[in-house]
Amino acid sequence: MREQIITRDVVANPKSVYGDKRASTRHFFTQRVTGAINIAFLALLLFVVVRLAGQDRVDMVAVIGNAWIGLPLALLLVIVAIHMRNGMRDTLEDYFHGRTYSLYMMLNTMFCLAVGVVGVVSILKLVFWG
Amino acid sequence: MVELMLPKADRPTKGKTWPKPANAKRLREYHIYRYNPDESANPRIDTYFVDLDDCGPMILDGLLWIKNKVDATLTLRRSCREGICGSCSMNINGLNTLACTKGMDDSSGPIKIYPLPHMPVVKDLVPDLTLFYAQHRAIEPWLKTTSPTPEKEWTQSVPQRAKLDGLYECILCACCSTSCPSYWWNGEKYLGPAALLQAYRWLIDSRDETTQERLDDLEDPFKLYRCHTIMNCAKVCPKGLNPAKAIAEIKKMMVERKVAA
Repeated sequence: MREQIITRDVVANPKSVYGDKRASTRHFFTQRVTGAINIAFLALLLFVVVRLAGQDRVDMVAVIGNAWIGLPLALLLVIVAIHMRNGMRDTLEDYFHGRTYSLYMMLNTMFCLAVGVVGVVSILKLVFWG
Repeated sequence: MVELMLPKADRPTKGKTWPKPANAKRLREYHIYRYNPDESANPRIDTYFVDLDDCGPMILDGLLWIKNKVDATLTLRRSCREGICGSCSMNINGLNTLACTKGMDDSSGPIKIYPLPHMPVVKDLVPDLTLFYAQHRAIEPWLKTTSPTPEKEWTQSVPQRAKLDGLYECILCACCSTSCPSYWWNGEKYLGPAALLQAYRWLIDSRDETTQERLDDLEDPFKLYRCHTIMNCAKVCPKGLNPAKAIAEIKKMMVERKVAA
């Protein structure tokens, strides 16, 4: 992606576009919604952390292996991964442009995907296979 | 990529200390950024002493006293001297504000004066506001209608007019935009708090008939969504306006439009 040359006339033109128009509002909306859900899920996360404090692996498997706890926790991980990717996108858009931005954004996506997939698979393993 | 340090050639050095006025009893020290593009030297910080018994109470009074009585080469913009024109906006003791409405007695110690941050400097305290004005042009700050023009004026009820309070008062001094870190990093693409405040002013004007078109033009990850609600704009506005709130309202309109579609 080549960097756009921005002149005074480009800036003054109301029709100038610097990024993905439609996706911009979607990203903003998704970021706020996932943020709000994260706050709501915080109680569940705190419950799990407090419940497992000082416990051994058997207790951990028993708590997270409970589908009523494990499945919402897996869902939370997915939402956190989406929120993390969007949040980091905002930061990258601020500080990097052109090819550097594309590269960092790809790494960001891969990292968030890895966190989400590994976390969800691990929880599902505990829920279904112990 | 963003630059976090000033290039070596732009870093201010210690400049000249001008003599104290003779027989002055009450003095105030001014440290002023000086830069002349015609000289190949780095910018410098000159030190001046203002005779408070021979000068008005505002920081602009001190600057004009220096220009008239000590150093006529000091360059700055000023016009109305009462916070209406927005010409004398500059960075005073670390905060962007108007030199004409900021009193010398608001702070103690030397008064440190720089041009508005992160803008190209034309000379001394005069920044180049070309892009700032281009951004204002980009939001089309005028009434746009599609209906036939009425015989008299476009009317507006009192409650409809009241919605514009806190928006129309902007004097385009650029204090808000140049205090915004997002504007520092992406000043060419991000419209900035001042332009977006005016964009919202026209979006909610009951007489304007192009709201959707205006929203279409604003919808962009850089033009609008670089605002991260840092709130520097609201903190420094010399007119007490809140551009961050106006930007949040535009984002809300964008989401409502998206959800309704």
